[in-house]
Amino acid sequence: MSLLETFPLQVLGPTELFSLLPLFTLTFGAVLALLFGTNKQRGHGYAFTVAMFTLVYALLQGSYHLFLTDVSLLGGTLVFSPYTRSISLMVIVFAIIGVILTYGQDKKEGLLSEVYALILFSTAGMILMMSTTHLLFMFIALEIMSLAIYVLVAMRRSSSFSSEAGLKYFILGGLASALFLYGTALVFGATGSFELTTIHHFLMFNQNPSFIFYVGLGLITTAMLFKVAAFPFHGWLPDVYQGAATNVTGFMGAAVKFTAFMAFAKIAQNMVFLDNHPGLRWFQSFIWFVAAASMIYGNFVAISQSELKRMLSFSTIAHTGYLLLGLYVMNNGEGSSRSLVLYLFFYALSNLGAFAVISIFEERNQKDLTLDQIAGLGLKYPLLGTLFTIFLLSMAGIPLTSGFIGKYGLFSAAVSAGEIPLVVIAVLTSVVSVYYYLRVIVYLFMKESTKEVAIHHRLKGATIAALISAAATLQFGLFPRAIIHFVKMLAK
Amino acid sequence: MISTTCLLSWMIFSPMLFAVIAILTPSFLENKLRTLTLIQTLVNAVLAVVLYVRFDGYSAAPQLIHFVSWLPEWGINYIVAIDGLSLPLVMLTAFVSPIAILATWPHGELKKEKFFVSLIMALQTGMYGTFLAHDLFLFYFFWEVVLIPMFFMIGIWGGKDRIYATIKFFIYTMVGSLLMLVAIFWLIHESTHLPGANPSASFEVLGQLKFAFDGSSLKTVFSSPQTYLFLAFALAFVIKVPMVPFHTWLPDAHVQAPTVGSVFLAAVLLKLGTYGLMRIAIPFFPQAAFYFSEMFILLGVIGIIYGAFCALNQTDFKKLVAYSSVSHMGYIVVGLFSFQKIAIAGSLYQMVNHGISAGGLFMIVGFLYERLHTRNLQEFGGLAKVVPMMAIAFMIMTLSSVALPGSNGFVGEFPILLGAFQVHPIYVLFAGTGVILGAIYALKAYQMVMLGPKTRNDLDHLHDLNAREITAMIVLTVFVFGIGFFPKTFFGKSDATLDSYANQVIYKVGHP
Repeated sequence: MSLLETFPLQVLGPTELFSLLPLFTLTFGAVLALLFGTNKQRGHGYAFTVAMFTLVYALLQGSYHLFLTDVSLLGGTLVFSPYTRSISLMVIVFAIIGVILTYGQDKKEGLLSEVYALILFSTAGMILMMSTTHLLFMFIALEIMSLAIYVLVAMRRSSSFSSEAGLKYFILGGLASALFLYGTALVFGATGSFELTTIHHFLMFNQNPSFIFYVGLGLITTAMLFKVAAFPFHGWLPDVYQGAATNVTGFMGAAVKFTAFMAFAKIAQNMVFLDNHPGLRWFQSFIWFVAAASMIYGNFVAISQSELKRMLSFSTIAHTGYLLLGLYVMNNGEGSSRSLVLYLFFYALSNLGAFAVISIFEERNQKDLTLDQIAGLGLKYPLLGTLFTIFLLSMAGIPLTSGFIGKYGLFSAAVSAGEIPLVVIAVLTSVVSVYYYLRVIVYLFMKESTKEVAIHHRLKGATIAALISAAATLQFGLFPRAIIHFVKMLAK
Repeated sequence: MISTTCLLSWMIFSPMLFAVIAILTPSFLENKLRTLTLIQTLVNAVLAVVLYVRFDGYSAAPQLIHFVSWLPEWGINYIVAIDGLSLPLVMLTAFVSPIAILATWPHGELKKEKFFVSLIMALQTGMYGTFLAHDLFLFYFFWEVVLIPMFFMIGIWGGKDRIYATIKFFIYTMVGSLLMLVAIFWLIHESTHLPGANPSASFEVLGQLKFAFDGSSLKTVFSSPQTYLFLAFALAFVIKVPMVPFHTWLPDAHVQAPTVGSVFLAAVLLKLGTYGLMRIAIPFFPQAAFYFSEMFILLGVIGIIYGAFCALNQTDFKKLVAYSSVSHMGYIVVGLFSFQKIAIAGSLYQMVNHGISAGGLFMIVGFLYERLHTRNLQEFGGLAKVVPMMAIAFMIMTLSSVALPGSNGFVGEFPILLGAFQVHPIYVLFAGTGVILGAIYALKAYQMVMLGPKTRNDLDHLHDLNAREITAMIVLTVFVFGIGFFPKTFFGKSDATLDSYANQVIYKVGHP
């Protein structure tokens, strides 16, 4: 079978072009940013400007063409619907905040000007990954995204932690990619298709697929659980979060997580969560178990961390658990997939904001901030302290913040689906999470600083990024109707 | 003139508006911040008076409803309304706040005063919101909002072990309220099965829900959904009350909190728990509540006696008052779960009365601490001659606390005991000893502080109450004796609601 037969070329009409336009813009902008970044004196500034323009332009294009009809390209491989377009927009929003966050941080941490281009490339990969239903395409998109992120993680050249983190992430990520590819091959062998929808139909009419299918599905699930950092596959996450420059961590924690989860949701919806399919019940209970284990492990290990980024990385694992709970009930309750998107979006925004504040607090070349180092900073810098508090409360799911709305939607969908035991586990472990989030607030506001602490680099970019995230966190926490309505409209 | 439809919302959000003003206050005006706080609380008191006048005491239905569509997709709306159950508690909040500001402000400088006053204001928004919400989600929302200012207040301006106390306070409340949240999901989900099929969180709709309950054996009880729903709500509320054995956060929080925090905690925050029991846990799940009522009464009585004994052995004055709160709040639990009309009414009165007496006692502790920087009872003594005004105020608050006939305390505790006696005479016998013990520890505290020989030399130079402290005490005294002698005048407007509430609850118990 030649490539042309698999992906027959077709003439692109205006609708198709408009749907692809953000991807073109991002790629073109990334190349431009690379070129402009070569300027020795002003390279960073130029690259930043180009990246910002590109992203804002892509955002405008995307939102302008949001409600065009569904487009499927390359024989149904790339699907652009209002739903995929809007989750792409969300990723672009994360990238915008990530780029703003990087401004200033790049000089402080000695990042090369290519950082902006890499963010753009990975964003393009993310959009591709969320728009495709073809397993091979998904693999390619995954690699486009991941390769850029590997470099971003290792980019803090003066720090050995960063190289270590980059290498770890690269090797383990490569393993996961290999598993994904091998799984894809096996699934293709068993079902005769790379298309998720075709595989879905195959499974609906075929109660007993061959054993090879289950092996392949297991490999794909493992790879995806690795990418979203669920409990037994989380090992890389804390080191990568600590080693990477904080702006990169923030961008990763938001955008990569969002994308990986959206892709995983698509795979799980088509290949795992089928009703009345006895063979798949094992996989469903496996995901149940992973969800519960991630919540428990993430939250309890986060308690004993004294370093901020490491603590947040374990809390991320816990949030993966909550999200898997949302995934688990996705096909049962009406509105569950919407609440998954909402939760991810809200969580990603708060997470970005939290890392923005950390990047202001930390010293140059510092591996991680310890709790002692932030003692008393909240009273000394009330604005930053308040912003950080808002993000932490949001992650803890306390009302007034978007995190509460997200959690509310997710858990109520799960209760509607009858999955009460897992919700009770989730709720009880989130009490544990309240403890370690509060502890940070306690250090910020209630402990006296042991020595003179001060912020040496006033990062304007990071402050603006944190302000944007905080405004969004409060806005969606108090008046979530618009965005809930928006997401609901997309699902129709 | 404020239109009536928005009156309740004005009450809820005007503190928030003032908080914004406080945050924006330029630094050269920062010494006026406490005046601003006083103005804010007085504005709310005036609004409360308007509210009281507009309130129709002959109607049992929720009044002055303000409805704003908030999240209709999830069945969640901003609904605030007032009825006879929330009216006394709103009035209590509105009047205790200015008194607390007057009485408890530290004489010296307070660090980060701007932050402190905005927290006080945010706290009030949360309290009014919880009492006035008529939508379960909104109730939960405000219930949690109350936590955050209190957390900071104890944590930043508290005593030596403030961090331990504030985290304990927060986590304890969170455990209960998150389980309540799961129950709320369940309720809202069930509401879609009602005719209309739209999810709804309003009290009115949720009140129509019926959950199966079979009390014939333990096995059937624990396979009935109503049991779990009731226990989830009740746990959240009794932690806040606090009922033994979930009370241990209270002494820590009280002792470490700054005085104004203690006053708000004792006077209003604890009532959120009993109000929740009264508003949600009992009427929504009456059969389960009735089935477990004996257990709750038993725990209530244990709380009364245990709290009193603990109070008896304290040397820390503030801890003594904190344990007396545990004891007095036990009466409310006993009254609510006796399912007797008169006891239910008594419980509502007791909520207000305990707010006044415990708030007053914490203010007295604050007066002493402000002047002597100690709360150790053994370091006082013979103060009555030096500070006669304080001695009088202290005496009045003590009498109110021991429920002397003619004081407000009597109006609450007597009907509770009377009503509960008709169904559980043995328990009430034990609860009655709590009254005696209460008199012993309260008078003992008074004696150790005001009477007897002086233990320190510097006590001679103690300043008596200043004008603002006296003003606060006079207002409280008016309420103590006013309620004591003319309870009808103060609580009359709640009669219709209480009557129909008790009838409905008792009817529902018998007719599942």
